[in-house]
Amino acid sequence: LPQAFPLPSLPRKQPTVLVVCGPAQNGAIGLVCARHLRIFDYEPTIFYPKRSPDPLYRDFTTQCEKMDIPFLSYLPTEVQLINDAYNAVVDAVLGAEAEVGEGREPCAAILATLKHIRIPIVSLDVPSGWDAESGSSGGISPDVLVSLAAPKECARRFVGRQHFVAGRFLPYDVQKKFELNAPEYPGTECVVAL
Amino acid sequence: QEEAQAIDQELFTEYKFSVDQLMELAGLSCATAIAKAYPPSSFTTSQPAVLVVCGPGNNGGDGLVCARHLKMFGYQPAVYYPKRPSKPLFEGLTTQCEKMDIPFLPEFPTEPAFIDELYGVVVDAIFGFSFKGAVREPFGSILSTLEHVTVPIASIDIPSGWDVEKGKADGLQPDMLISLTAPKKAAMHFTGRYHFLGGRFVPPALQEKYALNLPTYPGTDCVLQLT
Repeated sequence: LPQAFPLPSLPRKQPTVLVVCGPAQNGAIGLVCARHLRIFDYEPTIFYPKRSPDPLYRDFTTQCEKMDIPFLSYLPTEVQLINDAYNAVVDAVLGAEAEVGEGREPCAAILATLKHIRIPIVSLDVPSGWDAESGSSGGISPDVLVSLAAPKECARRFVGRQHFVAGRFLPYDVQKKFELNAPEYPGTECVVAL
Repeated sequence: QEEAQAIDQELFTEYKFSVDQLMELAGLSCATAIAKAYPPSSFTTSQPAVLVVCGPGNNGGDGLVCARHLKMFGYQPAVYYPKRPSKPLFEGLTTQCEKMDIPFLPEFPTEPAFIDELYGVVVDAIFGFSFKGAVREPFGSILSTLEHVTVPIASIDIPSGWDVEKGKADGLQPDMLISLTAPKKAAMHFTGRYHFLGGRFVPPALQEKYALNLPTYPGTDCVLQLT
């Protein structure tokens, strides 16, 4: 996010970012992302309506709370409120693990709101609501996509401004075995722009 | 030493960080700092070979994480890990290294000259800030050998064998020190070329509570070069 939206470039006075977290792993990644954004001097706010019972994810929540990252109790349906308050939205609602049709419903209202916002959306791994393989029809249109480990099939249909790969942890033999063609990361960076 | 332990305790009990989380961030910082000070192109050995010596506790765990990231950064690390705790955390870290074809040496090189010939950098991940008292074998002999090595040594958090507050004038004199979270008192006695700060995970409120007065990290970097 700082590469796509560096602090000095943000339009609002405060470096606010809304992080919308879904109920599963993608949401948990959003929680970790929010914590690091706070360390990087952004002002994240989290919306995490359906919390996972997983102890690891509950600890991620505690870490964010103890770092004074506010948790919204509801997401405004009036999109102008979101446009005015934040510089960008991190979409950590659904990832590649979301089954078609199942588990999407509780998130449908969130995605309906996100479809109409004007500020940039950064999607983690898969634009939420997109089918991980075939892509979207009328779903959200993120400005930035951060593919985790390697781009998913649906990334071919991404038409936003910037596509990054992040998650520099795949051992070489896993990359070879699955023919991932993962890009070369520069130096010690953990993010590479495609 | 007590303050460092208090901060750690708060991170685990109040903030609910797991040891795994912080160890991963710490090890990544170490690998990043090493890569900045000793880029692969600077090695005179044919491969950018690095020897990582891991002790019996958390400092050793930091070393295992560091070795794994060094491999991802294009180095050829080899690990010497003589005393392994039988805890899932350390067993997992060991497996991750093994599965990435990082060799675990069966023996420690007996002569400093052997180390100088084979490796461009040695990572000292033997003892950390919890170290107290006498050095138990095999680490006494290992440290004696390391004291006569001429290739650069990068120590994780505390040069091993040093008193955590007072240092050790006749002990290991590493070229690089990577202080984790905040520099310890012993860092005042550090005379090597490179001092980096790593472990960029301390919440602002905790920094204030303990008056750490940490300098600002550049951008999104996970390390900060102090000297």
